[in-house]
Amino acid sequence: MQTAILRRRIAWAPLALVTALAGIALAYLLEARGVSHDPQNLLLLQPTAWLVLGLWVFLAFGFLRMPVTEGEVRETPAEVLRILAMVGAFGLFILGLEAVGYDLSIWGFTLVALVIGGERKPLPLLLFPPLFMLGVVHGFRLLVPYPFPTSLL
Amino acid sequence: MIDFPAFGAALNMLGGSLDAWIWVVPGLLIGLLFGALPGISVSMAMALVLPATLYMDFLPAIIFLTSVYTGAGFGGSIPAVLINIPGTSSAVATTFDGYPMAQKGLHNEALGAALVSSCIGVLISYVILFVLVQPLAEIVLRIGPYEMAAIGIWGLVLLGSIGGSSVTKGLFAAGIGVLCGTVGMNTAGYMRGDMGIPWLLDGVPTIPAMVGLLAASQLFALVNAKFIVADESKRTISLRRIIAGGGLVLGSPVALLRGSFIGVFIGAVPGVGSSIANLISYGEARRVSPDPESYGKGNPRGLIAAESANSSSEGGSMATMLALGIPGGGATAILLASFAMHNVIGGPRFMEQNRDIVYAIIISNFAQALILLLVGTAFVFVASTVVRLPLRYLIPSVLVMSTMGAFAIEGSIAGPITLFVFAVLGWLMSRYGFPVAAIVVGLLLGKLIETELLRAWQLAGGDPLYILEHPVAVGILVLMAVSLGLSLRRDIRRRRALKAASAVA
Repeated sequence: MQTAILRRRIAWAPLALVTALAGIALAYLLEARGVSHDPQNLLLLQPTAWLVLGLWVFLAFGFLRMPVTEGEVRETPAEVLRILAMVGAFGLFILGLEAVGYDLSIWGFTLVALVIGGERKPLPLLLFPPLFMLGVVHGFRLLVPYPFPTSLL
Repeated sequence: MIDFPAFGAALNMLGGSLDAWIWVVPGLLIGLLFGALPGISVSMAMALVLPATLYMDFLPAIIFLTSVYTGAGFGGSIPAVLINIPGTSSAVATTFDGYPMAQKGLHNEALGAALVSSCIGVLISYVILFVLVQPLAEIVLRIGPYEMAAIGIWGLVLLGSIGGSSVTKGLFAAGIGVLCGTVGMNTAGYMRGDMGIPWLLDGVPTIPAMVGLLAASQLFALVNAKFIVADESKRTISLRRIIAGGGLVLGSPVALLRGSFIGVFIGAVPGVGSSIANLISYGEARRVSPDPESYGKGNPRGLIAAESANSSSEGGSMATMLALGIPGGGATAILLASFAMHNVIGGPRFMEQNRDIVYAIIISNFAQALILLLVGTAFVFVASTVVRLPLRYLIPSVLVMSTMGAFAIEGSIAGPITLFVFAVLGWLMSRYGFPVAAIVVGLLLGKLIETELLRAWQLAGGDPLYILEHPVAVGILVLMAVSLGLSLRRDIRRRRALKAASAVA
């Protein structure tokens, strides 16, 4: 079944993504060429980087004239914001692992992620994060031979 | 090829020893549990139980470890199907159709199909090992860098446009994956793209990157959903449907057999292993299918091809280990360590002098595959409850467990940071229609292809025509080109037929 194309527009977000990735590929190629022009350095890297840059031209052209189709379902701004909040909370969790300890970081992230996910009942918010943190920290201490920093446990 | 007196002695050995059997079920359960935990690899699970085997006799120790190996081989597919996280790197291709099946409410069938494919894959691989252990090992010795590079390129080309609607997007994603795979110091000693970060000298940590790309990115996209399976009526856990899923495997014997043979052959090649077997088998199944568009959208044949290959690679790697004493990967290296702990040296001499023990290991693995069918069904039944958990609990729990798994693999913060970076990249790319799986494949195969191409380049002194002296590599590349040409012709014909049909309508 074919979907009707209503109009064309510039798809800024995917255009920015492929341009950023192509930019990184170009920077990587230049850095590698700066290390050495020896084929043993560039045997796979150089042709692949050229392929990525070549494909960027095609993709960017497509994103400049992106068709808007009938019945296209898009997320609401509130839904996008909720995803971004989860991505941000996860980033802060990773940053906090070494800074405040794995235990506090897990506790904090679990609590925030529950709230972002829509949990509003106080009892689960109060009990689940610390219990989950206890289980994970003790479980991984038994399994993993490397020490990891904690503040409370 | 079969030494019947030794076979009889092996049967006697197993029949007269309770010790050889009592460790099978615990081993399978440990393997299933650890394999299902993201970040805990098959070899890590085996390493954790290795000290316990010190006080066992030689045969029970090896049977215990191979039970863990068999259990973990299937265990990795449980989170792959249920939450899109390959529990081990050998279950990457299992996510491609397994998770879409779960999203459609076919999680019972998907897990049943994965279990039966795994069990039959293990059985077939040990049958092949039983009959062809020596010739298989001799073939493996002839495989050099040219052949390995050809296998890697075969996998990359097969999977370049995986799951994506647009070949351009698939190739772009695969290219980004290959570039990520070349970061760090290559085997010629050149350092590229490490950005001054010490842990990038060894390259991008593959498993955290893979879990980030496939799982964490998917979890971000699910933040606004309530459950993995949207339809409440489809969230049931049914033994009948798990068994029906197993029945799907029997209805797809070609996918099963092809996957098993690919798994045995690729698993036997040292350093390649089950993760590549899993990907190549999936790619082949998709390529020869009359309906390749259905792959990546929940086609059980994709799942069967992927699972049969990763499980059957166990038999392949055991062939190399038993016949040559060469460990094909981490798991067989641990088995060899256990040999050493019992003052046994693996390799051709062990094979010649202890053929009865080799046969006992093989027979025990036949039994393990059959017992896995029962133990695995019970395990799958319990694990399926994941689909009933609300996502607001599942998302933070899985993200935290994946982060800890990434830490466990790397032993430093490098794992969690890699996981996060690739999770964001994977989320953005899948949001705009890029097949994330293609980046994973590029990442896995990029490093292998570069290493093997470099070895080949060094052997040839830079002369590309030197490949002509390696007929097997040329054969693989010619076969690849011919099969791609045939697929392309078939695609063009199908498109023409569709166009003609829509014109008539």
